[in-house]
Amino acid sequence: MVDLGTATSLANLGLAVGTPAIKSVGPLAFGPGGVLFAADNVGASIFAIDVGDAGDGEPQDVNLENFDASLASYLGCSREDVTIRDIVAHPRSGNVYCSVMRGSGDAATPVIIRVSGDGSIGDVPLDDVAFSRYDITDAADADDPRLVTRMQLRTVTVTDMSYVDGLLLVAGTSNEEFTSTLRRIPFPFNGEAKSNSLEIFHVSHGVYETAAPIRAFVPYQDNTSILASYTCTPVVQFTLADFDTEKHVMGKTVAELGSHNHPIDLISYEHDGGEYLLVCNDRHPLFKVACKDIDVQGPLTEPDDSMDASPADPVTPGVGVPRELLPHPGVKRMANLNGNGVLMLQQDEEGRSHLRTYATATL
Amino acid sequence: MTQRRRLQLEWAQHEGRDCLKIGGWTEAELGELNGLDAGALSRRLALYPSEAVPHGGGWPVVPPVAGSFLIEGEAAWFVPRFPFVDGVSYSLLVGSVCGAEVWDIRRASSKGSTTTEALEIYPTAAELPVNLLRVYVHFSAPMSEGWAARAITVTRADTGETLDDVFLPPEPELWDAQRKRLTMLLDPGRIKRGLVPNLEFGYPLVEGTTVRITIDPAFRDATGQPLRAGMARSYDVGPPLRSRLDPAAWQVTTPAAGSRDPLQVEFDRPLDHGLLQHCLSVRDSGDVTLDGMGEIGKREHSWSFAPDVPWKTGDYQLVVEPRLEDVAGNTPARVFDRDVTKAEDAPGEWEAVTIIFTCARTHGARVDRAY
Repeated sequence: MVDLGTATSLANLGLAVGTPAIKSVGPLAFGPGGVLFAADNVGASIFAIDVGDAGDGEPQDVNLENFDASLASYLGCSREDVTIRDIVAHPRSGNVYCSVMRGSGDAATPVIIRVSGDGSIGDVPLDDVAFSRYDITDAADADDPRLVTRMQLRTVTVTDMSYVDGLLLVAGTSNEEFTSTLRRIPFPFNGEAKSNSLEIFHVSHGVYETAAPIRAFVPYQDNTSILASYTCTPVVQFTLADFDTEKHVMGKTVAELGSHNHPIDLISYEHDGGEYLLVCNDRHPLFKVACKDIDVQGPLTEPDDSMDASPADPVTPGVGVPRELLPHPGVKRMANLNGNGVLMLQQDEEGRSHLRTYATATL
Repeated sequence: MTQRRRLQLEWAQHEGRDCLKIGGWTEAELGELNGLDAGALSRRLALYPSEAVPHGGGWPVVPPVAGSFLIEGEAAWFVPRFPFVDGVSYSLLVGSVCGAEVWDIRRASSKGSTTTEALEIYPTAAELPVNLLRVYVHFSAPMSEGWAARAITVTRADTGETLDDVFLPPEPELWDAQRKRLTMLLDPGRIKRGLVPNLEFGYPLVEGTTVRITIDPAFRDATGQPLRAGMARSYDVGPPLRSRLDPAAWQVTTPAAGSRDPLQVEFDRPLDHGLLQHCLSVRDSGDVTLDGMGEIGKREHSWSFAPDVPWKTGDYQLVVEPRLEDVAGNTPARVFDRDVTKAEDAPGEWEAVTIIFTCARTHGARVDRAY
């Protein structure tokens, strides 16, 4: 959870009123002062936007069946023209913010939708709004003196973001080289970003190690650790303090998701004195991990063929951190809602999307 | 009160914006509408995409199109929050004591022409290693997102069978800044030895077969138009490529001093087309990077560099950045899926590799030219 502070002024956060030239909206994260970070992968930028949410009122559960149909109607387009990119909940008001692309190609319009506890839909004005901008251009390319590079072909596509103690952590995938870096961008956007290369160890055979991009991650344990999921299935714990001291950081592989599956999103929540993480996947069911189990889980560095031996049950192998499968189908995105609930964007078999809140006690 | 009149809906400009104009009201209705404040007006009139309106009539359960109604003269206007979408039908609902009247109007479809083409699929080598990591597709014009997963397919040439799940789900899709080059990653979980997907499903490609990568013309460009024509490229799938790039194994043909003939570099294997455009450069003995034209050779098996000013007599450096990869993701610093038990696979230093070459004045086949 982000601490909003009390009297943080937007000017102190480096925000100024204007019209941000946002070309697209993707991953979202809340920062200090209720500022919303929105990644613009087309414009190669991250915007910090004042969404004008005072955080008043009592947070409510958000439940909206056929959310995509509601969005299509509100946006005046057909359902197939609506792409929901990410959801995040305001840490104080509990209002849900959603990055949505309306249409595609030249006609694509980025929209940040606000869903209130009563289920009403509105959008955050993206003109005459307090904002600041960070360009994710790769310095190595921007300063390239060679004429060999005649076009800006190399890009970094942001896949996930989180704000932790003055830093916006950004995971991205390059459209060229296959490496794993985590950018740490100071906020307000007035400092130089740092990055670490990350190394992980693959479990299921134990002999091979690789670099791979992080797909999604979540800070936990009072922001001292992050748990990251990779495009090629391991779930890895990093200690955030290592990022300050080590350029090249080794993660502790605590689970292997295995078998033709790709993780989509992770969140953390607390219940009954314990902290838990949820991981949703494109093929495998939603599952839950207790953070205390990650602490005692030794690094998985030895060969393990348990998943190979039982491919029919690749989700609950005999090694790695214990995980509990949850019965919520079609989870595409998640958000921690006011600490008491978890908001899930669920897609049913007909392709319809629904926003549903589940009390943490039921998970 | 509304049975004898017919509302007229038309697209019209209001203060420079594309709006919906609604005429045909009775005087009584106009009087009533004029007396309503904005909130009451939005409860009396609402616009929806027609697909949201229940077939049996009645008010939709979804929110109406964002925007506002205003009354001017004898017409009501709907000013949309977001521009209307071409090709979409909209329904105006007019509330009354009996329920709601529904009036429909459709936006004309834009008449674009199909001019965009798929220009090339990289790699262009005829044979690929079975552990190919990446494919680039170049288009002649900016494209729309959301089509990569359905419009790019891989089939086996011998059986015609479509190979499923070859690529990592392209979410998000990886485009260049102009939206003209798409990067598709083969599922790395299936490339790396020992990972469960690799054991269960094998490589995405099948060694010893011929595969065909096809770009479906249904792929939409940025104007929403399909491609003028699809494209396909066939490859023979060979054994895996698992060793670090070794620039020392490249053949470098040194140009003559005094000429602007290109430096020719022949690789020992095909390299990644995208990275080749950034990762090779030439410096003089003073470590100054030369301006000039780099060109990638056929099958991404060679590279040449013609300087803007003639070569001088003396030493130059060909600089190879450590992030340069071959088509299987191996770099000068590491093997893509390193076997930790093999000493030769141990990661090297993540530093640029330089190859020194010397330009001299020659009097053989290569003739010095004076500039």
